[in-house]
Amino acid sequence: MVEIAVEVNGRAETAEVDGRMLLSDFLRGVLGLTGTHVGCEHGYCGSCTVLVDGASARSCLMLAAQANGSSVRTVEGLADGEELSSIQQAFKDCHGLQCGFCTPGLLMTVTEIAAEVASTPSRHQIREQLAGNLCRCTGYHQIVDAVEQALDQAAGGGR
Amino acid sequence: MSGPSPRLFGARVPRVEDGRLLKGQGRFVADVDFPGTLSAKFVRSDEASSDICDFDVKEALACEKVRAVFTGDDFAGAEIRCVSAYEGFQPSAQPILAVGRTRYAGEAMAMVVADDEYTAEDAAEHVTFAYRPLEPVAGLDDVLGEDREPVHSGWVGHAFVRRSMATDGFEEAAGSAAHRVTVELRNARHGAIPMEGRACVARYDQGSGLFELWTTTQIPHLIRAGLSDALGVAESRIRVISPDVGGGFGVKAQLYPEEVACCLAARELGRPVKWVEDRREHFIASHHSREHRHRVTGYFDDDGILLALEADIAVDMGAYSVFPWTSTMDCGMAMGILPGPYRVAEYSVTGTAYCTNKAPYGAYRGVARPAACFSIERLMDRIARHRGADRTEIRRRNLIGPDDYPWHSASGLVYDSGSLPESLDKALEVGGHNRLLADQAAARAEGRLFGIGLAVFTEQTAHTTREFQQRGVPIVFGYETAKVRLDATGTAVVSASIHDHGQGLETTLAQIAADRLGLSIEDIRVEYGDTDQVAYGAGTFASRSAVLAGGAVVKAADAVAETLRQVAAHRFEASPTDIVIGQGCLSVSGSPGASIEIAELCRLVYQRPESLPRGVEPILEASRTYDADPGTGVYTNAAHLASVEIDPLTGKTKVLSYAIAEDCGPMINPTIVEGQIFGGVAQGIGTALFEEFVYDDEARLLTTTFSDYLIPTMTDMPDFEVAHLETPSPHTIGGLKGMGEGGAIAPGAAIAAAVEDALSAVGDVFVDQLPLTPERVLAWLNQARIQGDGQ
Repeated sequence: MVEIAVEVNGRAETAEVDGRMLLSDFLRGVLGLTGTHVGCEHGYCGSCTVLVDGASARSCLMLAAQANGSSVRTVEGLADGEELSSIQQAFKDCHGLQCGFCTPGLLMTVTEIAAEVASTPSRHQIREQLAGNLCRCTGYHQIVDAVEQALDQAAGGGR
Repeated sequence: MSGPSPRLFGARVPRVEDGRLLKGQGRFVADVDFPGTLSAKFVRSDEASSDICDFDVKEALACEKVRAVFTGDDFAGAEIRCVSAYEGFQPSAQPILAVGRTRYAGEAMAMVVADDEYTAEDAAEHVTFAYRPLEPVAGLDDVLGEDREPVHSGWVGHAFVRRSMATDGFEEAAGSAAHRVTVELRNARHGAIPMEGRACVARYDQGSGLFELWTTTQIPHLIRAGLSDALGVAESRIRVISPDVGGGFGVKAQLYPEEVACCLAARELGRPVKWVEDRREHFIASHHSREHRHRVTGYFDDDGILLALEADIAVDMGAYSVFPWTSTMDCGMAMGILPGPYRVAEYSVTGTAYCTNKAPYGAYRGVARPAACFSIERLMDRIARHRGADRTEIRRRNLIGPDDYPWHSASGLVYDSGSLPESLDKALEVGGHNRLLADQAAARAEGRLFGIGLAVFTEQTAHTTREFQQRGVPIVFGYETAKVRLDATGTAVVSASIHDHGQGLETTLAQIAADRLGLSIEDIRVEYGDTDQVAYGAGTFASRSAVLAGGAVVKAADAVAETLRQVAAHRFEASPTDIVIGQGCLSVSGSPGASIEIAELCRLVYQRPESLPRGVEPILEASRTYDADPGTGVYTNAAHLASVEIDPLTGKTKVLSYAIAEDCGPMINPTIVEGQIFGGVAQGIGTALFEEFVYDDEARLLTTTFSDYLIPTMTDMPDFEVAHLETPSPHTIGGLKGMGEGGAIAPGAAIAAAVEDALSAVGDVFVDQLPLTPERVLAWLNQARIQGDGQ
């Protein structure tokens, strides 16, 4: 067993976990943060993406113990109470989700991109940056619409 | 709630379900956890066909925190059977855990139940089986070869069923036609592959004898019916709950052995039992689809007018007939819809559903129609080539015209309405066909392989009683049900028998109810998925939910509104027919002062019974079913236009543009319709370019991760162009037609045509097989070069 201390969505958490426990299982099973979804357990689909110290990470490929001392952000940490983040709002405005299973992973990846974006990327660039997040419902078109809107806002409308 | 309530039908209303899904507050089955829940892991067969000689579970049972290991005999009293009424159908019985024999690689043989998932998975490694491998019926080559032993003992041959039909005039029309072309076409086995795999959690309450199954399903009531059969327990003792589901597309519309196993284990162990499928299991053991081989002959005249059509259809249905569809659905659908959007007067068809040692075959978005569309559209392109005619022109000559409805197809279907030639023109327009031709000329001048392809189809949707009666299924999926209940605060709950797993029905049904009740969308809550809460109905599949549940909501909401009218009329001493509902109020027409808020009226109904007129009960709820006429479906149509470029070095095909012109009748919410179209097209592009279950020689699946089974990523997809036409159905409430599957139907045909068109700059080849993997495209390119050099 491993003793870990992690900040999750701004809240300090300590726990004793099995050394082999995945971060995804820790978030979902121990902390009850079931918004992070596990789609393949192989690191391909991106549904389980969270931010670890601001950088996107596949929580299915990372051990909880590896997050010791880190700050983790999950989909539950995006909205301000009832108020959606601008990225979440863009997904709602543009119908960027259908079943909602892959959505948390996409939102986290876009949140990472939005933190660094200086100008609105092209639709092609958006597709390149998000190619590691699989979605089976939308055909992606409306996700690209949503990300375009969100990143345009994040970049202050500059192109 | 007294605010303005605009008419919501047809509006691009943002989805009401998005809030919880965006905040990570959805509740999927894997998120459900009860105190004391145990985890299950299945041990699966590595052999497609084998006798189980021996097994050993002692070591697994000895592991710490392991509660039980079940094997075939433990659950032998239960099985899954689904017997078609078709004459000559050979039934199968699927065990919950294999008994004595395995019939596909991936079949569950043992179930390990432990305190947690990690332990269960570890312990499963210690369960050992000894098998004697048998020669598998590995696929259609084997069944056509005939010398293999059938998958099920006592069978004659390998067919679940073979059926034929022909029109009276077929022989004469075929015999007298000036020309004929025969094509042989293959569609690879692949699957729906939703991002959420399957999962279930079963509880058994010993005091009441009640089973409760949380499961990832599109069809909660049908799962309850199937469980009732398998468990031998009355339906009143079973509650099935399907909460948020992460995509279905058909693969979650069958009863699976794992659902039965978790129920049995929960009863045996007295604790909740949970199973969450992993991705490998999803590939090997969730139902597959799409594997068709067609041999199609078109008989036509000098103008390329199709006079008669002949088809031989073979579908590899895997090892077992699935509940509730049987193993005949794909074959029957292909036989019925193959003539498609064309005026085919004479038709002869034979269809065979074969049984092989592969995973069972279930529904996947479009059910057989992608293969049927591929066949008829590839044939059309061949006829165009034969006659030296333009591919668009040859279609125009054959398409069912606006004055031809109702069109009685040669296969016995009745197309209610449509706009086929118009949708073709619209697709060419919105897809920029003239620009594409210019691009193609420029690309060819540079020696690049640029192609344009097109496909047209008509989609049977919202088929109900008559259609499913004809299909010989044991349960006829006729109607859907909705209950509308207004409470004392003037808000409504709509309970529907359908299920929403991404289609936006929580929003579209709320739009309909809000309009009918004069409320805002915020005043409506739509619930579904819990058999204890919602009335009986079939669920969500076959592009039916908006039409059938939508119609049921209209009927139920109107019945509730009628009660409101009676109470308001009584209050204002007016006639109920003079009461107008809208914008949160009931008003007397022509009397500006006589108006009451719906919330106030609802409060009076429930809390001040003295305000009710005689004979009106204090109940503001109604349940209604809707079974859309004529029962054989209403027909959506569309045309798709694609352009591609092929990399001649790698054989990789890139989709450059994709346009859709679709007519699904009046749209409740165009944004949601577009989302459904785009999502379907993406799956269709997967069908066209990437998706294929590849097996070794012993029928073991090799493509079991997302690194070797490719689904489209964001960079594989172009932006889409879309145009809508809205021809209402003369039959349905609101003129609605279904459209959930359509997008997935045509991409295989359109992209194959585009690839063939690109290669035609080099030489004439016929693209006869999907998916268009780089290896196949390179082979065609080489063939084209040889053919081109020979000229």
